[in-house]
Amino acid sequence: MAIIEATNVHRSFGKGDLAIHVLKGIDLTVEEGEFVAIMGKSGAGKSTLMYQLSALDDPSDGSIVIDGTDVVPLTERERTEFRLNTLGYVFQDYALVPDLNARENVMMPLLMKGMEWQAASDRADHSLDNVGLEGKYLNLPGMLSGGEQQRVAVARALSGKPKIIFADEPTANLDSVSGQQVIDLLTRLHQDSSQTIVMVTHEPEYAETCDRIFYMEDGQITDIKTK
Amino acid sequence: MRSLRIGLLLGIRQIQRASVWTTFLIIFVMMLTFLNLIAVSGILVGLIAGAERAVRAEALGDIVITPQDGEDYILETESLVRKLQTFPEVTAYSVRYAGGATMEANYKERRDLTGERDTASVQVTGVDPVLENQMSGLADTIVEGEYLDPNEEGYILIGAYYIEEFAEQFGDIFDTVEGVKPGDTVRLTAGTISKEFIVKGLIQSKVDEVNLNTYIPEREFRRVFGRIDRNADQIVMRVKPVGREDAVKAAFLSLGLDRLAKIQTYDEGKPKFITDIKNTFNILGTFIGSIGIVVASITIFIIVFINALSRRRHIGILKGIGIERRAIEIAYVIQAAFYALAGSALGALLVYGVLVGYFERNPIQFPFSDGILVAPVDETFVRFLVLFGITLIAGFIPAWMIARQNTLNSILGRK
Repeated sequence: MAIIEATNVHRSFGKGDLAIHVLKGIDLTVEEGEFVAIMGKSGAGKSTLMYQLSALDDPSDGSIVIDGTDVVPLTERERTEFRLNTLGYVFQDYALVPDLNARENVMMPLLMKGMEWQAASDRADHSLDNVGLEGKYLNLPGMLSGGEQQRVAVARALSGKPKIIFADEPTANLDSVSGQQVIDLLTRLHQDSSQTIVMVTHEPEYAETCDRIFYMEDGQITDIKTK
Repeated sequence: MRSLRIGLLLGIRQIQRASVWTTFLIIFVMMLTFLNLIAVSGILVGLIAGAERAVRAEALGDIVITPQDGEDYILETESLVRKLQTFPEVTAYSVRYAGGATMEANYKERRDLTGERDTASVQVTGVDPVLENQMSGLADTIVEGEYLDPNEEGYILIGAYYIEEFAEQFGDIFDTVEGVKPGDTVRLTAGTISKEFIVKGLIQSKVDEVNLNTYIPEREFRRVFGRIDRNADQIVMRVKPVGREDAVKAAFLSLGLDRLAKIQTYDEGKPKFITDIKNTFNILGTFIGSIGIVVASITIFIIVFINALSRRRHIGILKGIGIERRAIEIAYVIQAAFYALAGSALGALLVYGVLVGYFERNPIQFPFSDGILVAPVDETFVRFLVLFGITLIAGFIPAWMIARQNTLNSILGRK
């Protein structure tokens, strides 16, 4: 069953003759429980595609249906609510709130969902345990290594039990060991709980672990490779 | 509610993790703003309040009895005094007789009898020296010489502004005599009656009613002014405990004393211009203080704007992961609230813990007043609310400006 259906998605920046067409009619489907990678050279439009698929940006044209909801016409408020309840994010540079410790960073979306403080705290600790950060609950992001910070970000993305996790080059800022750990973590999640994951990456060896790979070039999907 | 909870968490943590020195500096600025708001108007009003207090202490007392409209004197003064003596709340009183006279000095040394005489038109007040001193502390205003002795006759106290050497700072405003010192002789003339007095002392105070007055014993006053009926011009009294004057006045009225004289509390009887000046200074102080509020609100705006701008990407990410914009705005409003509260609390501590007491003990020496710091708690609270409200707005606006930006643009650092 398709959890993401993108149909004829266009994304342009600027107007008239100066307009830059970054996405040129993307059609893409991601099945529930699938782990897919989007690959391509710099400027191919893979991150822009991910922003459309993850309801962070509006396409210039086309439709995107996520988990049965057409996200394009949603207001900003509805979209924020939708992202909270349906999606999880892992950004390239971890994107943790520097003033909050690891536990509090993970608790944020849980509290926003209305969970009680203690329950959110317990869930956050559990998520941190799952990513191998036992006992580092009170560490501020600045006290953690890059790999550990990215694992906190994964724990944050996971804690709300989202339908889909979007990972935007999650290993780009990490050394090879830490990068591999993060990929292993995502793979384990996918295998253990059939988590749907959409990952943008430059690294072919990391993409190899995915069920499908979408290759992009010049704003279009040029190839799809299935495992 | 969810937004409030997250806003609180974010706001509190940002305050906790901020640089101690930066936080201290911001709170210090807020404290100065609070002081500016309270102390400037407080001292301006205190300048008048000091004068008012002195008038109450040295001239009018807590209750003032004056002739009824249309009457020259207080009727049945002696009977009225006997009644007020029965009130335990009346701890001191003075019966005053007043009249205008010409005071001549240096006439014994005058060689040229056709030349101009050294005279001044003066206010003369006849008092019981003991009662007057109990009531107004007149003896404490002596700057040269001594206070009147109730057993002596022929002595006079002269207010400083009738002596040229004391009044020269005011130019020719006051009618003065020259070089009079204790021990000198002056002559008072009222109508056709003249009498010589030896200057017992010179008096000077922050109250013009004292500086522009001369005091002689009441029996001599009656002789000079031909007043044999013993009906007085003014009775002033001090009442304890403080604040009972309304009740005492009501008791006087219940005895029907208002048939004999006009009975007023100090607040009713004080000159209207004092209230007017006080209100004017209050407005002036508020205006000056409001400039401080504008400066503080701009300071808070800049601080929060820079803070939010430098965290624009984090704000975008928070929105990206589903945190409502309102929670982010609340976080910054909470920071602004913290700065305003902490600054105001320190300011209030300084005002009520130190400054009010200090100026009470060490009044500012203005020419016409011992200036104190007046900071009524209710007025201070209202000003705090204004400062607090404006600070919240100054914290909200930049947070709103940054948080409303496109989520993805914030995350990517795009304009």
